[in-house]
Amino acid sequence: MKGKRLARLLFTGCMLVFAISLQGCGSKKDNSVTEIEIVQYKREASNYFKMVEKAFNDTHDDIHLVINSPNDASAILRTRFIREDYPDIVGIGGDIEYSYYVDAQILADISGYKGLQDIKQSYRDIDESLELVPVEGTFAIPYMANAAGILYNKDLFEQNGWKIPNNWNELLTLCKQIKDKGILPFYFGFKDTWTCLAPWNAIAVGLTEPDTVKKVNRGETTFTKEYAEVSKKYLSLLEYGPGSPFAYGYNDACTAFARGEAAMYPIGSYAVPQILSVNPDLNIDSFVMPASDNSDGNTLNSGIDLQFCVTEACENKEAAYEVLDFLFEDENIQAYADAQNAIPCKEGNFKLASMLDGMKEYIDAGRMADFQDHYYPSEMSVDALLQTFLIEKDVDNFLETFDNNWQRYNRDIIRMVKEYEQNNKE
Amino acid sequence: MKNDRKRTCLLITIPILLLFITFNTIPLLRGVVYSFTNFRGFGNYEWVGFRNYIDLFSDARVGSSYIFTIKLAIVTTIVVNVISILLALALNSKIRAKGFFRGAYFLPNVLGALVVGYIFNYFFTYLVPALADMAGTGALKSSILAEKNTAWIGIVVVCAWQAVAMNTIIYISGLQTVPEDVYEAGSLDGATGWKKFWKLTFPLIIPFFSINMVLCVKNFLMVFDQIMALTKGGPAQSTESISYLIYNNGMKGGQFGFQSANAVVFFIVIVIISVAQMKFSGKKEEQL
Amino acid sequence: MIKQKINSTWLPTILLILGLSTIAFPLYMTIVIAFKQPSEMSNTISGILSLPKHWSFDNFREAMEVTDFWRSLGYSLLITLVTVVLSILVHSMIGYVLGRNKNHNKFYGFVYLFIVSGMFVPFAILMMPLAKETAELGLANWFGVILLYVVFYMPMNIMLYSGYLVNIPLALEEAAKVDGASTWRTYWQVIFPLMKPMHATVAVITALAVWNDVMTPLVIMAGSGVNTLPLAQMNFQSQFGTNYNLAFASYLLSLIPILVFYVICQKQIINGVVNGAVK
Repeated sequence: MKGKRLARLLFTGCMLVFAISLQGCGSKKDNSVTEIEIVQYKREASNYFKMVEKAFNDTHDDIHLVINSPNDASAILRTRFIREDYPDIVGIGGDIEYSYYVDAQILADISGYKGLQDIKQSYRDIDESLELVPVEGTFAIPYMANAAGILYNKDLFEQNGWKIPNNWNELLTLCKQIKDKGILPFYFGFKDTWTCLAPWNAIAVGLTEPDTVKKVNRGETTFTKEYAEVSKKYLSLLEYGPGSPFAYGYNDACTAFARGEAAMYPIGSYAVPQILSVNPDLNIDSFVMPASDNSDGNTLNSGIDLQFCVTEACENKEAAYEVLDFLFEDENIQAYADAQNAIPCKEGNFKLASMLDGMKEYIDAGRMADFQDHYYPSEMSVDALLQTFLIEKDVDNFLETFDNNWQRYNRDIIRMVKEYEQNNKE
Repeated sequence: MKNDRKRTCLLITIPILLLFITFNTIPLLRGVVYSFTNFRGFGNYEWVGFRNYIDLFSDARVGSSYIFTIKLAIVTTIVVNVISILLALALNSKIRAKGFFRGAYFLPNVLGALVVGYIFNYFFTYLVPALADMAGTGALKSSILAEKNTAWIGIVVVCAWQAVAMNTIIYISGLQTVPEDVYEAGSLDGATGWKKFWKLTFPLIIPFFSINMVLCVKNFLMVFDQIMALTKGGPAQSTESISYLIYNNGMKGGQFGFQSANAVVFFIVIVIISVAQMKFSGKKEEQL
Repeated sequence: MIKQKINSTWLPTILLILGLSTIAFPLYMTIVIAFKQPSEMSNTISGILSLPKHWSFDNFREAMEVTDFWRSLGYSLLITLVTVVLSILVHSMIGYVLGRNKNHNKFYGFVYLFIVSGMFVPFAILMMPLAKETAELGLANWFGVILLYVVFYMPMNIMLYSGYLVNIPLALEEAAKVDGASTWRTYWQVIFPLMKPMHATVAVITALAVWNDVMTPLVIMAGSGVNTLPLAQMNFQSQFGTNYNLAFASYLLSLIPILVFYVICQKQIINGVVNGAVK
């Protein structure tokens, strides 16, 4: 008898829970209102997007805007794509993920959208070149760019009278000076492999052509040739970092830099909020990685951090454009730039965050080039290859592995590129 | 009577089996289909025949992930089972504050991966070197997670720390099936401590021992959370587990088809290991 | 005799207390960090181990706000409880059928191995197909998640139940059969109550796995607007910045319900009826 009673109890409990939960469903939305859903991947900007969502819905009766800012957005987007549950607009970075989406024909051609006219040409060009093979049409509207170089502790620099370096030799001299004072020149958080890419990108951008990757895919050159100098220079920075850089993660590095344990931290502007959360009074500025041997040969590493794409599945493109119009209003762009220390991709006189002062000259002059890693397929794990390289310090072996892996992981893309070349020659 | 038993058993088995097939076997077969394509996880794909399988066996990264994972699984399984049996015996003995101890030892299992990752990273990166410094040893000066050759030990420690609770619970529930008179008979014969355990208690909990072995081997072969929390595959790709590769390159990267092939092979490997284990312990059970 | 008894309880107690330090230290760190502000974080030993400057529940309040705590907790509880109840009912039943028949009937032997081997399917290979399948069946919601859990934990629970059955004598069932009870009734009246310690074990293991799981709800329910606690807790992390203080506060909060559940269940594991009945 005991068993039956127990079983019945469990059944009843089960039914009860069902009944309660079913009541929750049932509120349906009004049909006259178009719903536009954005999924954007910058989790750290979720507060900004919440504000935008509210402001938009307060002023629009015919469109209801929903903005989701999930963590791990790329996994979420993939599972939603496979379910054919497409958001209307996706906010993604200008990297290979975008290239794949264009290739998969998930994104709609928005060349008819008039807001595109206001976007700086250099960023629109980046989007063009991200396409695996040139495709007719425009599939994204760049929103914000980021910049990576070297963050430095302004107070430390002023106290000691250190000068901002303009070329590679000056950088090494500066590092020696700092080290002589008993201060650690750089902090690295190489335990988190992705941070290995930040200095790499910043050095590579000054020493290689922006289309290096495309050239390799076309079989015109190899990474062994293109990345030799980059690798050697990167390696020579290691001795100015902490003794065991692979023990510390990104978070450790941010905390250490915030506490004044190092004078410089080679990372992107995105790290500033995390650093300031530990030490709000820290005076941070940045400068361009002086990778070149010539003082006027440097280039700022800047790419598209966030762009919006309308999906092919979006039923009401006009409504989507209206949402985009709102997002691209100067006032909202300024608010985003302030909150995230980002660089607007739109033409106009926007005020940049103070920690970008050291880069302003490059931004205004347009002396910028995209991150190399935006062209690397993530499954190749170049970040992990770099970490291995920095541990083993074997340049030749690293470059050979890089080239071999590249051919292996990009086999289908290289074939596509070759086919395209063939067809367009004829 | 016999018919009633047969009918009831079938009536129970068939619907449940169908449910299982719907949500396990069919998706698995679909996954197998993807393993013959160059599917990225979205968009169009082409059939590539056995290319993915051929690549698998020539891929050094996949190879080293198998070696790492199997090494980890064996070591951790042994460590966890030894600790769990001892803990279960201790928690099952007539001690005071049993409830408190049982609750406390359950805690590691409930802490989320983010917390575990943060604490153990801190522990290995700052605390252990500082303690080693105080003790005056040169070893352990830098984090074991930062060294290629020792990072896996850190993962073993955390896996074991978390897994002991579960295994202990299973052993405790196994100990409940040991009748009191077995103990009493044992003590009359003068059997004490270890002898008593090996001769009398252990044979009776062998079914639970084999369950724990199978679960442990399976869980640690599939290790993922601890890798994400502690090393994310580093340093120098020395702690990339098979599941980590499948998830990271298949789900997040564009290698869905290839990693599906990896998952299929991996599945077959674990089934073989586990069936062998079960057959082995099944024989043991029958012997006793 | 008396002397021996004292020895045999003191030794384990001392060892247990020593072992406790491996748990007390992480717990201490979790609590201290949950109460601190981001500006109190540092990399030095004394900095991280020191007590917070002010004891205030602000972090907890904010964490609850960020995760929409009560709603997420509701869904977590719903999913966990329904899964546990269904697991106990369904898995014990099938575990009984398979456990009793697998050794002398080829069909059941096969079904047993078939289902148990399902445990070894890497979730990553199932993810995409399952996302597609649940959407096609209209199950891309919390109910679909529960169904999937019932399937996922079936192999392990079947193993546990049929392992437990080995020690329940057949004589008990046969006695009931002689009295004229059907198999169905025999099961619910005789066997099911006897497996109470295993029910509690299964409840704990299943509940814990479900409670902490992120992947399944992420894959199945993403975009549905419904969050479980672990899903909501993902909001604390992003690549470029993690608020550990809020996250730790939130994890401490979500630890409480499952701990309470465990404490209730573990009494059942121990106070099982088997000891009396099997003799």
